[in-house]
Amino acid sequence: MDRSEPPPEVAEGEDFGYRLFPERHSEAKRSFLTTSLFTFNHKCQVMLRIALDTNPYAQLLLDAMKQSGCTVYKDRHFACEDCDGCVSGGFDSATSQIVLCQNNIHQQSHMNRVVTHELIHAFDHCRAHVDWFKNVKHLACSEIRAANLSGDCSLVNEITRFKFGLKQHHQTCVRDRAIRSILAVRKVSKETAEKAVDEVFDSCFNDHEPFGRVPHSKSDAKYAYRDFQNRNRYYANL
Amino acid sequence: MSSMVLGSGSCATVSASSMADGGAWRPPRTCEDYWSEWKHCKGIRNFFHNYYTYGEVPSCEQWKIDYSNCRKWEKSKSPDAKESLCKSERARILEKQKYDPVWKLRKTPPRDWYLPLGQDKSK
Repeated sequence: MDRSEPPPEVAEGEDFGYRLFPERHSEAKRSFLTTSLFTFNHKCQVMLRIALDTNPYAQLLLDAMKQSGCTVYKDRHFACEDCDGCVSGGFDSATSQIVLCQNNIHQQSHMNRVVTHELIHAFDHCRAHVDWFKNVKHLACSEIRAANLSGDCSLVNEITRFKFGLKQHHQTCVRDRAIRSILAVRKVSKETAEKAVDEVFDSCFNDHEPFGRVPHSKSDAKYAYRDFQNRNRYYANL
Repeated sequence: MSSMVLGSGSCATVSASSMADGGAWRPPRTCEDYWSEWKHCKGIRNFFHNYYTYGEVPSCEQWKIDYSNCRKWEKSKSPDAKESLCKSERARILEKQKYDPVWKLRKTPPRDWYLPLGQDKSK
Protein backbone atom coordinates (compact mmCIF):
# COMPACT_ATOMS: atom_id res chain seq x y z
CA MET A 1 0.00 0.00 0.00
CA ASP A 2 1.69 3.22 -1.17
CA ARG A 3 0.68 5.80 1.44
CA SER A 4 2.87 8.54 -0.03
CA GLU A 5 0.63 8.76 -3.12
CA PRO A 6 -1.36 12.06 -3.03
CA PRO A 7 -5.17 11.72 -2.88
CA PRO A 8 -6.92 12.44 -6.18
CA GLU A 9 -8.42 15.85 -6.89
CA VAL A 10 -12.13 16.34 -6.20
CA ALA A 11 -14.15 16.29 -9.47
CA GLU A 12 -15.95 19.42 -10.62
CA GLY A 13 -19.65 19.39 -9.74
CA GLU A 14 -19.07 16.75 -7.08
CA ASP A 15 -21.91 16.75 -4.54
CA PHE A 16 -20.65 13.79 -2.43
CA GLY A 17 -24.01 12.08 -2.77
CA TYR A 18 -25.99 14.76 -0.94
CA ARG A 19 -28.47 14.96 -3.87
CA LEU A 20 -29.82 11.58 -2.64
CA PHE A 21 -30.65 13.10 0.75
CA PRO A 22 -32.57 16.32 -0.10
CA GLU A 23 -33.59 16.98 3.51
CA ARG A 24 -29.87 17.26 4.41
CA HIS A 25 -29.34 20.48 2.51
CA SER A 26 -32.83 21.88 2.54
CA GLU A 27 -33.34 24.84 4.87
CA ALA A 28 -37.12 24.34 4.87
CA LYS A 29 -38.23 22.06 7.70
CA ARG A 30 -41.53 20.19 7.47
CA SER A 31 -44.13 20.85 10.11
CA PHE A 32 -44.73 18.24 12.80
CA LEU A 33 -48.20 17.57 11.35
CA THR A 34 -46.88 17.04 7.83
CA THR A 35 -44.17 14.72 9.13
CA SER A 36 -46.68 12.72 11.21
CA LEU A 37 -49.41 12.38 8.58
CA PHE A 38 -47.59 12.22 5.28
CA THR A 39 -44.31 10.40 5.93
CA PHE A 40 -43.16 7.08 7.36
CA ASN A 41 -41.24 8.89 10.07
CA HIS A 42 -42.93 7.27 13.05
CA LYS A 43 -42.60 3.76 11.58
CA CYS A 44 -38.91 4.43 10.94
CA GLN A 45 -38.36 5.59 14.51
CA VAL A 46 -40.08 2.49 15.93
CA MET A 47 -38.12 0.10 13.72
CA LEU A 48 -34.89 1.91 14.57
CA ARG A 49 -35.58 1.55 18.30
CA ILE A 50 -36.24 -2.18 17.85
CA ALA A 51 -33.00 -2.60 15.87
CA LEU A 52 -30.90 -0.79 18.46
CA ASP A 53 -32.46 -2.66 21.38
CA THR A 54 -32.59 -6.19 20.02
CA ASN A 55 -30.27 -6.74 17.08
CA PRO A 56 -26.94 -8.33 18.17
CA TYR A 57 -25.03 -6.77 15.24
CA ALA A 58 -26.13 -3.28 16.28
CA GLN A 59 -25.53 -3.95 19.97
CA LEU A 60 -21.96 -5.03 19.37
CA LEU A 61 -21.28 -1.99 17.21
CA LEU A 62 -22.81 0.37 19.77
CA ASP A 63 -20.64 -1.12 22.52
CA ALA A 64 -17.53 -0.98 20.35
CA MET A 65 -18.17 2.65 19.49
CA LYS A 66 -18.71 3.52 23.15
CA GLN A 67 -15.42 1.85 23.94
CA SER A 68 -13.74 3.93 21.22
CA GLY A 69 -15.09 7.15 22.72
CA CYS A 70 -18.08 7.67 20.39
CA THR A 71 -21.20 6.87 22.38
CA VAL A 72 -24.14 6.78 20.01
CA TYR A 73 -27.31 8.64 21.01
CA LYS A 74 -30.38 7.77 18.97
CA ASP A 75 -31.73 11.31 18.84
CA ARG A 76 -28.40 12.92 17.99
CA HIS A 77 -26.78 10.39 15.71
CA PHE A 78 -29.74 8.99 13.75
CA ALA A 79 -32.16 10.80 11.43
CA CYS A 80 -35.14 9.32 9.59
CA GLU A 81 -35.65 11.25 6.35
CA ASP A 82 -37.16 10.90 2.89
CA CYS A 83 -34.51 10.10 0.31
CA ASP A 84 -34.29 10.04 -3.46
CA GLY A 85 -34.07 6.90 -5.51
CA CYS A 86 -33.63 3.47 -4.03
CA VAL A 87 -31.02 4.37 -1.45
CA SER A 88 -31.68 2.94 2.03
CA GLY A 89 -29.41 5.07 4.16
CA GLY A 90 -26.13 6.91 4.51
CA PHE A 91 -23.54 8.15 6.95
CA ASP A 92 -23.02 11.92 6.97
CA SER A 93 -19.54 12.47 8.42
CA ALA A 94 -20.02 16.25 8.32
CA THR A 95 -22.72 16.04 11.01
CA SER A 96 -21.77 12.63 12.49
CA GLN A 97 -25.25 11.33 11.65
CA ILE A 98 -26.67 8.15 10.23
CA VAL A 99 -29.49 8.89 7.81
CA LEU A 100 -32.20 6.27 7.42
CA CYS A 101 -34.45 6.49 4.38
CA GLN A 102 -37.93 6.21 5.91
CA ASN A 103 -39.55 6.03 2.48
CA ASN A 104 -37.43 3.05 1.40
CA ILE A 105 -37.19 0.89 4.52
CA HIS A 106 -40.41 -0.97 5.26
CA GLN A 107 -39.34 -4.19 6.97
CA GLN A 108 -37.57 -4.73 10.28
CA SER A 109 -34.99 -7.08 8.75
CA HIS A 110 -34.08 -4.38 6.23
CA MET A 111 -33.84 -1.77 9.00
CA ASN A 112 -31.54 -4.09 10.99
CA ARG A 113 -29.25 -4.46 8.01
CA VAL A 114 -29.15 -0.75 7.14
CA VAL A 115 -28.47 0.24 10.75
CA THR A 116 -25.61 -2.28 10.90
CA HIS A 117 -24.20 -1.12 7.57
CA GLU A 118 -24.21 2.57 8.54
CA LEU A 119 -22.92 1.88 12.06
CA ILE A 120 -19.89 0.21 10.45
CA HIS A 121 -19.18 3.47 8.59
CA ALA A 122 -19.65 5.40 11.82
CA PHE A 123 -17.34 2.98 13.63
CA ASP A 124 -14.65 3.46 10.98
CA HIS A 125 -15.08 7.24 11.26
CA CYS A 126 -14.67 6.99 15.01
CA ARG A 127 -11.59 4.77 15.12
CA ALA A 128 -9.62 5.94 12.08
CA HIS A 129 -8.73 9.03 10.11
CA VAL A 130 -11.01 8.25 7.18
CA ASP A 131 -10.87 10.89 4.44
CA TRP A 132 -14.43 10.38 3.20
CA PHE A 133 -14.41 13.24 0.73
CA LYS A 134 -11.02 13.15 -0.96
CA ASN A 135 -9.69 9.59 -0.72
CA VAL A 136 -11.66 7.07 -2.79
CA LYS A 137 -9.60 4.20 -1.33
CA HIS A 138 -10.75 5.09 2.17
CA LEU A 139 -14.36 5.20 1.02
CA ALA A 140 -13.86 1.90 -0.83
CA CYS A 141 -12.44 0.27 2.29
CA SER A 142 -15.38 1.26 4.47
CA GLU A 143 -17.87 0.15 1.81
CA ILE A 144 -16.15 -3.22 1.49
CA ARG A 145 -16.30 -3.69 5.26
CA ALA A 146 -19.93 -2.59 5.46
CA ALA A 147 -21.06 -4.91 2.65
CA ASN A 148 -19.00 -7.75 4.13
CA LEU A 149 -20.08 -7.51 7.75
CA SER A 150 -23.69 -6.26 7.69
CA GLY A 151 -25.38 -9.21 6.02
CA ASP A 152 -25.90 -7.26 2.78
CA CYS A 153 -24.35 -10.13 0.83
CA SER A 154 -26.11 -13.12 2.37
CA LEU A 155 -27.15 -15.83 -0.09
CA VAL A 156 -30.84 -15.06 0.50
CA ASN A 157 -30.37 -11.34 -0.20
CA GLU A 158 -28.40 -12.08 -3.34
CA ILE A 159 -31.05 -14.50 -4.62
CA THR A 160 -33.74 -11.83 -4.14
CA ARG A 161 -31.61 -9.60 -6.36
CA PHE A 162 -31.45 -12.42 -8.92
CA LYS A 163 -27.69 -12.75 -8.40
CA PHE A 164 -26.85 -16.43 -8.28
CA GLY A 165 -23.60 -17.98 -7.19
CA LEU A 166 -22.23 -20.17 -4.41
CA LYS A 167 -18.49 -20.74 -4.21
CA GLN A 168 -16.90 -17.55 -2.90
CA HIS A 169 -19.89 -15.58 -4.19
CA HIS A 170 -19.86 -13.50 -1.00
CA GLN A 171 -16.66 -11.80 -2.18
CA THR A 172 -18.09 -11.09 -5.64
CA CYS A 173 -21.13 -9.50 -4.00
CA VAL A 174 -19.03 -7.41 -1.59
CA ARG A 175 -16.88 -6.13 -4.44
CA ASP A 176 -19.85 -5.26 -6.65
CA ARG A 177 -21.83 -3.55 -3.90
CA ALA A 178 -18.81 -1.52 -2.81
CA ILE A 179 -18.33 -0.28 -6.37
CA ARG A 180 -22.03 0.57 -6.66
CA SER A 181 -21.97 2.50 -3.39
CA ILE A 182 -18.93 4.52 -4.46
CA LEU A 183 -20.52 5.39 -7.80
CA ALA A 184 -23.73 6.48 -6.05
CA VAL A 185 -21.98 9.09 -3.91
CA ARG A 186 -18.91 10.15 -5.87
CA LYS A 187 -18.48 11.61 -9.33
CA VAL A 188 -15.82 9.11 -10.42
CA SER A 189 -15.62 6.73 -13.35
CA LYS A 190 -16.47 3.04 -12.97
CA GLU A 191 -12.81 2.24 -13.71
CA THR A 192 -11.64 4.50 -10.86
CA ALA A 193 -14.10 2.91 -8.45
CA GLU A 194 -13.11 -0.60 -9.53
CA LYS A 195 -9.41 0.17 -9.23
CA ALA A 196 -9.84 1.63 -5.73
CA VAL A 197 -11.84 -1.40 -4.57
CA ASP A 198 -9.35 -3.86 -6.06
CA GLU A 199 -6.38 -2.12 -4.49
CA VAL A 200 -7.78 -2.22 -0.96
CA PHE A 201 -9.86 -5.40 -1.17
CA ASP A 202 -7.52 -7.87 0.54
CA SER A 203 -6.82 -5.58 3.47
CA CYS A 204 -10.40 -4.41 4.00
CA PHE A 205 -12.22 -7.68 3.33
CA ASN A 206 -10.10 -9.26 6.04
CA ASP A 207 -10.60 -6.42 8.53
CA HIS A 208 -13.47 -7.77 10.62
CA GLU A 209 -13.40 -5.24 13.46
CA PRO A 210 -15.25 -5.09 15.80
CA PHE A 211 -16.75 -8.52 15.01
CA GLY A 212 -13.56 -10.56 14.81
CA ARG A 213 -15.25 -12.73 12.16
CA VAL A 214 -17.71 -12.35 9.28
CA PRO A 215 -21.09 -12.62 11.03
CA HIS A 216 -23.38 -14.54 8.68
CA SER A 217 -26.25 -14.82 11.12
CA LYS A 218 -27.51 -13.49 14.45
CA SER A 219 -25.92 -16.56 16.02
CA ASP A 220 -22.50 -15.56 14.59
CA ALA A 221 -23.10 -12.01 15.81
CA LYS A 222 -23.82 -13.31 19.33
CA TYR A 223 -20.55 -15.29 19.34
CA ALA A 224 -18.76 -12.14 18.18
CA TYR A 225 -20.45 -10.10 20.93
CA ARG A 226 -19.38 -12.69 23.51
CA ASP A 227 -15.77 -12.43 22.33
CA PHE A 228 -15.96 -8.63 22.43
CA GLN A 229 -17.22 -8.68 26.00
CA ASN A 230 -14.39 -11.06 26.97
CA ARG A 231 -11.66 -9.08 25.22
CA ASN A 232 -10.01 -7.89 28.42
CA ARG A 233 -9.44 -11.43 29.60
CA TYR A 234 -8.37 -12.45 26.11
CA TYR A 235 -5.65 -9.84 25.65
CA ALA A 236 -4.49 -9.97 29.26
CA ASN A 237 -3.62 -13.64 28.91
CA LEU A 238 -1.77 -13.62 25.60
CA MET B 1 -10.27 -1.88 19.83
CA SER B 2 -8.14 -3.15 22.70
CA SER B 3 -4.44 -3.22 22.15
CA MET B 4 -2.51 -6.23 23.27
CA VAL B 5 -1.78 -5.38 26.87
CA LEU B 6 0.44 -7.96 28.52
CA GLY B 7 -0.99 -8.45 32.00
CA SER B 8 0.68 -10.07 34.93
CA GLY B 9 -0.54 -13.44 33.70
CA SER B 10 0.63 -13.12 30.10
CA CYS B 11 1.95 -15.89 27.88
CA ALA B 12 5.35 -14.26 28.10
CA THR B 13 5.66 -15.19 31.78
CA VAL B 14 8.36 -17.81 32.17
CA SER B 15 7.05 -21.27 33.02
CA ALA B 16 8.80 -21.57 36.37
CA SER B 17 7.44 -18.29 37.66
CA SER B 18 3.96 -19.00 36.33
CA MET B 19 3.86 -21.97 38.65
CA ALA B 20 5.25 -19.86 41.49
CA ASP B 21 2.88 -16.87 41.10
CA GLY B 22 -0.08 -18.99 42.14
CA GLY B 23 -1.48 -19.33 38.60
CA ALA B 24 -2.22 -15.70 37.61
CA TRP B 25 -2.41 -16.85 33.98
CA ARG B 26 -5.54 -18.43 32.66
CA PRO B 27 -6.52 -19.47 29.15
CA PRO B 28 -7.52 -16.47 26.95
CA ARG B 29 -10.98 -18.00 26.55
CA THR B 30 -13.00 -20.24 28.85
CA CYS B 31 -12.89 -23.94 28.01
CA GLU B 32 -16.64 -23.75 27.30
CA ASP B 33 -15.91 -21.09 24.67
CA TYR B 34 -13.35 -23.33 22.93
CA TRP B 35 -15.86 -26.17 22.95
CA SER B 36 -18.69 -24.03 21.57
CA GLU B 37 -16.42 -22.57 18.86
CA TRP B 38 -15.47 -26.11 17.82
CA LYS B 39 -19.09 -27.25 17.69
CA HIS B 40 -20.09 -24.11 15.80
CA CYS B 41 -17.20 -24.57 13.35
CA LYS B 42 -18.11 -28.18 12.63
CA GLY B 43 -21.80 -27.44 12.00
CA ILE B 44 -23.45 -27.57 8.60
CA ARG B 45 -24.29 -23.85 8.63
CA ASN B 46 -20.68 -22.86 9.12
CA PHE B 47 -19.62 -25.33 6.43
CA PHE B 48 -21.93 -23.56 4.01
CA HIS B 49 -20.96 -20.03 5.13
CA ASN B 50 -17.27 -20.78 4.83
CA TYR B 51 -17.69 -22.20 1.32
CA TYR B 52 -19.86 -19.22 0.31
CA THR B 53 -17.29 -16.72 1.68
CA TYR B 54 -13.90 -18.34 1.08
CA GLY B 55 -14.63 -21.11 -1.41
CA GLU B 56 -13.27 -23.81 0.87
CA VAL B 57 -14.20 -26.19 3.64
CA PRO B 58 -13.57 -24.78 7.16
CA SER B 59 -10.72 -26.13 9.24
CA CYS B 60 -11.93 -26.79 12.80
CA GLU B 61 -9.28 -29.08 14.26
CA GLN B 62 -7.41 -26.30 16.06
CA TRP B 63 -10.45 -25.45 18.21
CA LYS B 64 -10.59 -29.06 19.40
CA ILE B 65 -6.87 -29.04 20.20
CA ASP B 66 -7.27 -25.76 22.09
CA TYR B 67 -10.22 -27.17 24.04
CA SER B 68 -8.26 -30.20 25.15
CA ASN B 69 -5.25 -28.05 26.10
CA CYS B 70 -7.60 -25.80 28.08
CA ARG B 71 -8.94 -28.76 30.04
CA LYS B 72 -5.40 -30.09 30.52
CA TRP B 73 -4.39 -26.71 31.99
CA GLU B 74 -7.40 -26.66 34.28
CA LYS B 75 -6.63 -30.16 35.52
CA SER B 76 -2.86 -30.08 35.93
CA LYS B 77 -1.54 -26.55 35.11
CA SER B 78 0.58 -28.13 32.38
CA PRO B 79 3.14 -25.67 30.95
CA ASP B 80 2.96 -27.47 27.59
CA ALA B 81 -0.79 -26.92 27.46
CA LYS B 82 -0.30 -23.24 28.27
CA GLU B 83 2.36 -22.85 25.59
CA SER B 84 0.22 -24.57 22.97
CA LEU B 85 -2.76 -22.40 23.76
CA CYS B 86 -0.71 -19.21 23.63
CA LYS B 87 0.89 -20.23 20.35
CA SER B 88 -2.50 -21.02 18.84
CA GLU B 89 -4.11 -17.72 19.88
CA ARG B 90 -1.13 -15.68 18.76
CA ALA B 91 -1.27 -17.39 15.39
CA ARG B 92 -4.95 -16.39 15.14
CA ILE B 93 -4.04 -12.76 15.82
CA LEU B 94 -1.13 -12.79 13.37
CA GLU B 95 -3.44 -14.18 10.72
CA LYS B 96 -5.64 -11.09 11.15
CA GLN B 97 -2.66 -8.74 10.91
CA LYS B 98 -1.45 -10.12 7.56
CA TYR B 99 -2.35 -7.00 5.59
CA ASP B 100 -1.28 -3.37 5.92
CA PRO B 101 -4.14 -1.10 7.07
CA VAL B 102 -5.53 1.36 4.55
CA TRP B 103 -5.94 4.18 7.03
CA LYS B 104 -4.26 5.54 10.13
CA LEU B 105 -5.98 4.78 13.44
CA ARG B 106 -7.06 7.67 15.63
CA LYS B 107 -5.66 8.25 19.10
CA THR B 108 -8.76 10.22 20.14
CA PRO B 109 -12.32 10.18 18.76
CA PRO B 110 -13.46 12.88 16.28
CA ARG B 111 -13.85 16.24 18.00
CA ASP B 112 -17.27 16.98 16.48
CA TRP B 113 -18.92 13.64 17.37
CA TYR B 114 -20.91 15.19 20.22
CA LEU B 115 -21.32 18.70 18.80
CA PRO B 116 -25.00 19.76 18.74
CA LEU B 117 -26.49 19.74 15.26
CA GLY B 118 -26.40 22.99 13.37
CA GLN B 119 -23.00 24.05 14.65
CA ASP B 120 -21.16 22.32 11.81
CA LYS B 121 -23.57 22.96 8.93
CA SER B 122 -20.97 25.19 7.30
CA LYS B 123 -18.97 22.06 6.24
